[in-house]
Amino acid sequence: MRTTVFLFSFFFSGLVTCFAQQRIIKGTVLDEHSAPMEQANIFIKGTTEGTSSDEKGNFSFTTTQKEEFVLCVLMLGYTEFTVAISGEQTAPLLIKMKPNNVTLNDVVVIAGNYQLKGNSQWKGMSAVDLVTSGGSSGDLYRCLQSLPGTQIAAESGKMFVRGGDSRESQTYIDQMHVLSPYTTTSNNEPVRGRYSPFMFEGINFSTGGYSSEYAQGLSSVLPLTTKSSSPVDKTGFNPSSVGLAGGGTKAFTKGSISMNLSYENLGLYNKIYPDRLTWIKPYQLISGGTQLRFNPDENTVYKTYIGYDRTSFIQQMTSLQDNSERKFDLKEDNFYVNSTFQKETDSGRNYFAGAAFSFRKENIDGAIKSDDSFSDSEWELHLKTKTSRRMLSFLKLHVGAETFIHHYQTSYADSTSSQKGNINHSISALFATADINLTRNLNAEVSSRAEYTDINNSWNYNPRLALSYNLKGIHFSGIVGKYTQLPENKYLVRNSELLAENCIHYIGGIYHENNHKIYRVEAYYKRYNDLAREDADALESDGHGYSKGVDLFFNDQSLFKNMEYMLSYSFNLSKRKYAEYTELTVPQFWTKHNATLSLKYTVTALKSIIGITNRFASGRPYTDPTKAGVMNSTTSCYNSLDLSYTFLANKKLIIYASATNLLGRNNIYNYTYTKQTNSPGGYKSSPVIGSSDHFFYIGFFFTLSGKTAYDVSNF
Amino acid sequence: MKMKTMKRFLCMILLMMPLFISAQELAPILNNLRKAKAPADFVQVRNQLERLSLVTPDDWLAPYYLAYTDVELSFRVSSKEEKIRYIDEAQTYLKRLSDMPNADLSEVNTLKGYRIYALIASDPQTNGPKYYNDVTVWYEKALQINPNNPRALLLSALFKNDTAKFMNGSYDNFYQDIEKAVILLSTEKAETSAPSWGKEWADRALSNKN
Repeated sequence: MRTTVFLFSFFFSGLVTCFAQQRIIKGTVLDEHSAPMEQANIFIKGTTEGTSSDEKGNFSFTTTQKEEFVLCVLMLGYTEFTVAISGEQTAPLLIKMKPNNVTLNDVVVIAGNYQLKGNSQWKGMSAVDLVTSGGSSGDLYRCLQSLPGTQIAAESGKMFVRGGDSRESQTYIDQMHVLSPYTTTSNNEPVRGRYSPFMFEGINFSTGGYSSEYAQGLSSVLPLTTKSSSPVDKTGFNPSSVGLAGGGTKAFTKGSISMNLSYENLGLYNKIYPDRLTWIKPYQLISGGTQLRFNPDENTVYKTYIGYDRTSFIQQMTSLQDNSERKFDLKEDNFYVNSTFQKETDSGRNYFAGAAFSFRKENIDGAIKSDDSFSDSEWELHLKTKTSRRMLSFLKLHVGAETFIHHYQTSYADSTSSQKGNINHSISALFATADINLTRNLNAEVSSRAEYTDINNSWNYNPRLALSYNLKGIHFSGIVGKYTQLPENKYLVRNSELLAENCIHYIGGIYHENNHKIYRVEAYYKRYNDLAREDADALESDGHGYSKGVDLFFNDQSLFKNMEYMLSYSFNLSKRKYAEYTELTVPQFWTKHNATLSLKYTVTALKSIIGITNRFASGRPYTDPTKAGVMNSTTSCYNSLDLSYTFLANKKLIIYASATNLLGRNNIYNYTYTKQTNSPGGYKSSPVIGSSDHFFYIGFFFTLSGKTAYDVSNF
Repeated sequence: MKMKTMKRFLCMILLMMPLFISAQELAPILNNLRKAKAPADFVQVRNQLERLSLVTPDDWLAPYYLAYTDVELSFRVSSKEEKIRYIDEAQTYLKRLSDMPNADLSEVNTLKGYRIYALIASDPQTNGPKYYNDVTVWYEKALQINPNNPRALLLSALFKNDTAKFMNGSYDNFYQDIEKAVILLSTEKAETSAPSWGKEWADRALSNKN
């Protein structure tokens, strides 16, 4: 009975409070600049009693609470404000809110960084945007080469960034290193990226000053992020002028599996449009990739990607030196697997762990002479773990550790001699970054990397400081950072005591985005030290050099409806004394001026996207042995007007066509000379030119599944 | 025996009190949501829902409507920064809803699709080609769980029709889907026990039929 009375009294106590005496809580909410804050949510903690502030920041509400309580103020983008209110409190309250640094941290603009896909505040570019750029031919790296900071080296196809060699640029997939991101081709035929842009939901290209997390890259990094989930079944195939590809995705409740197979054969293409090379067996590339994704909950992702490809061709070559002929017979196998785990806890802590294994093996018969054979193979195991957590409202810490285990083996044999070499080494590193929100508009990133390389038994310390300041939408940023990279395998095989090469980046930039226009200016200076250098018979680590310049970028999506254009210009001065260079000189891949104008127009009535891109680069240096010194001459300028056309034929078919160098300009990248004068006229020279003046591509992308439309991605 | 029954009854009432309080408090807020026109009206509703969701953490309807109000607000505020802020907040609540065992996943998935639609609307040129397939995917997922979810049917039909129009085409089953949604909407329970918005949209879509 007593229990019943208790339950009744508890039940009705709520009603009694309704008639209790009421009191008024009032005050003003201000922001960090003491300006009135409208629409703040003010309430008594643990209840729904409360109100919102008006345009003057004022608020007032009545409550029956007589005793002390906690008043809470919430506003999006601001830290929660709480204050204890005593039973006697009657005076109006003055509440000053502080910005929420967790929100701020996500909008920091850092110099040197281009987020092309994903949650970028500057440029949200989709895979469709990438491939519809004029002349991109669906290649990720060629698309990126229209951005400032990149140099045009069309005969190579690889990334040359801000006066740096191509090996100084590194690619990462899901934060794990990719040893060999480019396909293998014949001489002076541009390589392509091994991975389709459609695989990725995040493409984040950094031309310098990147996080200390990224290793073994002196010039740039390209972190690519695959899709965390692919929630719909789909299948598709695409015949094209170079081959056939197809694949699909099967989605499950908590994950998905995607697969893609591709076969490229340039035999037919070369018959229709012959190039300058003599093919005995045409270029063939067989590749396959699969990805498994498992999402046990919204904040946890397991991903595994496995890819394999095999390249083969036989080409008839003639030596410039003695006119001898040989069959250049190349076979390359490439395998890559990476597996990652990511979790974000409710408390905001992030965990990451990953493992990647890369393997590449290349065999060439007739590499230099008709009777020789060259073999080159390497593998790398990359293990990495890291965690991040916001420790204080203004401080977020990231710490991690990683190790690279590397094997490289090379051999060369001809009828009279043979050479072999191999190296096994590892790199172990610890890295940490502190994101500090000094004020609402001023942010700092302080990071450091300690790296041990066992091949030369040495430690490297790479500190980095990045500052960014947002002045009413104009972002100023500056970075100083040191980066290290071991010398090329071909040097390490000969001298394992070579030091790690290093480069210090100094970068300052201004960025502004307004009304669908992006303005960006960046100046940089890079100092190279400890570069591997051949000196007579010895290999030393006393090479050095510098690179400095200015990058300009302008993008406008508002001039005309459905039209977007982009201007990009890079000015660079670079000199090095490294590799076989005997004096401080401009490297052969260097160009002083690079400019790209890219225009894209969507013709809605024709369901078409037209992309036109003009790429220009000033002449390349080369050494003319008839003149004194090295790099004493310059080729003519490079220019290529490229076009792409995308036609959305229907929901299930996209037709894509691309053509390069429409004006047919004869672009020369270098000159090779005979080693000795063999005639009264002097040295015999031959221009280094592309295997073809143009490249044409047409592809038909069919979507077979009923649930997606205009989707060219099988992943 | 009578005393025992009385005790059970009172205990049950006590246990269900939070639900009654939530439903009781939700009703006037949803009434305000229906009447809201200006962004300031929506912010008032948003704040009320935020307060309610804090005191009833196990109830899924308050965060559900909070995410919905955030998406609606993103259409109504003018600055892109504000739009993204509301869209991001909606995402936070939708993530939380996905892990709530009592949440109706079909409704949550519908709202996920609607949120991505808002993301496209915030910057159609950039986000349109990037996300338009994702919108359809979430509506499909919602309909897989509950083929009779009127909001999933309605939003899916409207989106398919808009996309088809953009490509100079039309969605053949548009009116068929809308009419089905109207019938399903008319049979819905009280709004404080399950989502029940969408009738006005369906009526508006049908008014253009003739």
